[in-house]
Amino acid sequence: MVKEIVVEPVTRLEGHNTLKVKLGDDGTVQDVQFSITSTRFFEKFLEGRYCEHIPRITPRICGICPIPHHLTPTKAVEDAWGVQIPPAAYKLRQLLQNAKQYSSHALHFYALAAPDFLLGPMADPALRNVVHVINQMPDVGAMALKMMDFGQKLCQEIGGKSVHPISAIVGGMKKPMNESARDLFLKQIGDQVEWSKKTVEIGLKVVEDYWDVVANVGVVPTYYVGMTKNGVHDIYDGDIRIVSPTGEKFDYAPQRYLEALGEHIPEHSYATHMYYKPAGYPEGIYRANTLAMLNAADKMATPLADEALQAMRAKIGTDVIHHTFAYHWARLIELVESIEVIATLLQDPDIVNPDCKTLDVQPREGDGVGVTEAPRGLLLYHIWSDAEGICKKANLLVATNHNIAGIEKTLMHVAKQVFEDKALDGLSLPDPWIK
Amino acid sequence: MAVKVAFLQNSDCWGCHQSLLNLHLGLLNVLPALEIVYWPAVVDFKYDSLKARADGEILVGFVEGTLRTKHDIEQTKVLRQKSALIVAFGTCSCYGSVKGLANQWSKDNLVKRKFSDVESIADGSGGEPTINMPGFTDKIVPVDEVIKVDAYMSGCPPKPEAIASAVVFLLGQKAHPMNDLSFCNDCTIKDNCLLDRGKLCFGSITSMGCSLKCTSDDKPCVGCFGPAKTVDSRAEKLNKMAKKPGKLSPGDIKSLYEFLPLFLNVPLMAGFDLAGDILKQIKRHGSPETTLANLPPTTMEIASKLMGFLKDNRGFTEISTVCDTCPRIIGSKSTMTRVKRDYEGLPNMEDCLIEQGYICAGPITQAGCGGMCLKVNSPCTGCYGQTEWGVDQAERFADIVLKGYNVDISKKELLAQVKDHLGTFEKFTLASNRKFKGGE
Repeated sequence: MVKEIVVEPVTRLEGHNTLKVKLGDDGTVQDVQFSITSTRFFEKFLEGRYCEHIPRITPRICGICPIPHHLTPTKAVEDAWGVQIPPAAYKLRQLLQNAKQYSSHALHFYALAAPDFLLGPMADPALRNVVHVINQMPDVGAMALKMMDFGQKLCQEIGGKSVHPISAIVGGMKKPMNESARDLFLKQIGDQVEWSKKTVEIGLKVVEDYWDVVANVGVVPTYYVGMTKNGVHDIYDGDIRIVSPTGEKFDYAPQRYLEALGEHIPEHSYATHMYYKPAGYPEGIYRANTLAMLNAADKMATPLADEALQAMRAKIGTDVIHHTFAYHWARLIELVESIEVIATLLQDPDIVNPDCKTLDVQPREGDGVGVTEAPRGLLLYHIWSDAEGICKKANLLVATNHNIAGIEKTLMHVAKQVFEDKALDGLSLPDPWIK
Repeated sequence: MAVKVAFLQNSDCWGCHQSLLNLHLGLLNVLPALEIVYWPAVVDFKYDSLKARADGEILVGFVEGTLRTKHDIEQTKVLRQKSALIVAFGTCSCYGSVKGLANQWSKDNLVKRKFSDVESIADGSGGEPTINMPGFTDKIVPVDEVIKVDAYMSGCPPKPEAIASAVVFLLGQKAHPMNDLSFCNDCTIKDNCLLDRGKLCFGSITSMGCSLKCTSDDKPCVGCFGPAKTVDSRAEKLNKMAKKPGKLSPGDIKSLYEFLPLFLNVPLMAGFDLAGDILKQIKRHGSPETTLANLPPTTMEIASKLMGFLKDNRGFTEISTVCDTCPRIIGSKSTMTRVKRDYEGLPNMEDCLIEQGYICAGPITQAGCGGMCLKVNSPCTGCYGQTEWGVDQAERFADIVLKGYNVDISKKELLAQVKDHLGTFEKFTLASNRKFKGGE
């Protein structure tokens, strides 16, 4: 008889998932299904829309990462129509993308992930959430909230709205930043950098406390997909980079994505599975997101973040890191980079430069590809335009697609560790910070 | 004592939840009032625990997201059963949002493009996934087509301060003192008061405790302290006036306009448009069924009549469009002579975008956002929902702008120059359009 363990829904994540683990009589893991139970058909209903309206629709794919879903289709249409944007627009978009990265990574660490570590994996589910963390650790809670608030407010200032932004347009940005607003954000940078460092300290303490878990649970060799600009970590612009399980790196210009990225339609998930095409499915299943980005990068774009990356590589490995629990650590390294990029760009006179939009934009028939790195992984839009600039067709490969097969593969690995190898039994766990 | 609330996520984007979390430090004031019994985005309770709760046990259930899967429908019905009040939370739930645009195609066509006819499928796989999968609905409908809804909070997403006010308000913990006695008790004008003189003064149903500033300046009380627990005997007179609101003077209309949002505590919730949403409720169910506050019967009667008046008074409801909160000049130096696409040129920050040639949905869209898009030089696309229902939105837009804006182009030309009518005028509300058949 097969025993089935069902988690419905999987909580503290964006989206709708059910997890099923099937165990045989002898306790062996027969199957693991990670099922995404909803999808909304954006690919289809973008057809017939004005191409320049697409970035006003697609942010509704994800309310946590609406900024990348605003900027990436804008880039794709610019690619299709052959439109260049002014340097000021490029920098404003970089700033916007990093502001989102900052708030999202802070939210992920403190609201979605931290409850597991601060209360411990065996805690009462009724208490294992950010509300309880805020109640029990008010100082840390307030700091976390002020970090998220800074990022979201900066998104709102540049994007018009922090959730579902509107200011990017094919050809650039509708408006530069106001000088007075810029000055207000600049004043807060000192505190934000300090809090980012403090967050890394908390993260390192968690890694140290849970080292037995980090080093032994969910160490799964897979491919990785990320984005780099000339090998350097970049979340707004660059080439797709694939990393093999042994650390080989392959670069593809966004327009060549079909050579690298294959899609598999599973029978048990509405979110489809992605894999590295030359390696085939399922061998080529890759993982995306923070650790994948760091595995792809030769170096980080900013000094403090690069120092932090070197520290992680010194501790875990230099070629390619397969430790699933290192995703949190990688996220904090990206968090540091984002605040450093924000600090630099806020001091750049271009972000208040009114020359932020190419005035002469003309639609043309053709297709274009836009790629950015969203907080949860690679984001790709392929848009086909007719001569009037109306969307004929769109193909979207979003972070969920890029993550889901890798997550399922990881869950299979961990399920075997837990149910077959009884790996949790001997595991050394720290005293929870919150009891 | 904390009260039980639940947040349901149907096929959504998380944006309404992110908007709530955007309160950040403001959350510290809201959270202690709540016992969150279901909220997959944030807490670890599973679906079984929701199903196991007693009927009506949850005070407020927030339903968010579109009804795209059969499971969405099922869990929405479950939450209705378990909750005393249901709030349609966000534009998906109220009107279907952009996902309603999918109603242009049949389910088979949608499924084909998503799971079979895809450029990046590279291994011969394909077809609709069916294992562990709930299956899709044939088309998107608003939540109130499936269950009874007590209050609507539109916006894509609703603003954080609006959500917080609504939560606090719905939980009966609003800042209003809800004193036993009414304003009249404190008022210094005892003889021939404003109400006696035929002015629409709301003192008789409003809580006492304010500085009496309005009546001291010989202006009527507009109810900003919220309802009193008991009403003054003068309320009968007010009730009579409310029966014939059509006879109100312009000054009284102004009082009425101030009264409802202040009294019902809606300005912080979503601007005046929440009253617009209550109107939707009246339209659907014939009478106001709002359970927004435990009002004394006379007070409820007066507020209901006045809300009913708003429903039938076009001039009044037209106040609450995005244009009314837009800082740009209508009647500017610019004039629309042809329809421009959004990518063309760059509009100036002062003049109305319509008069500069761009299509902006402000004139047909409910207020509540504060004109956020306009402030970053981008047109409104209608995410708060429309101010009139059951009409052709493109035609209505054209009629309004030809009448009240600098537009020098015929209606026919204007409408012909917009190629994508549904995506331009019904981007967020197509699912609420009962006349639209679609589904080719």
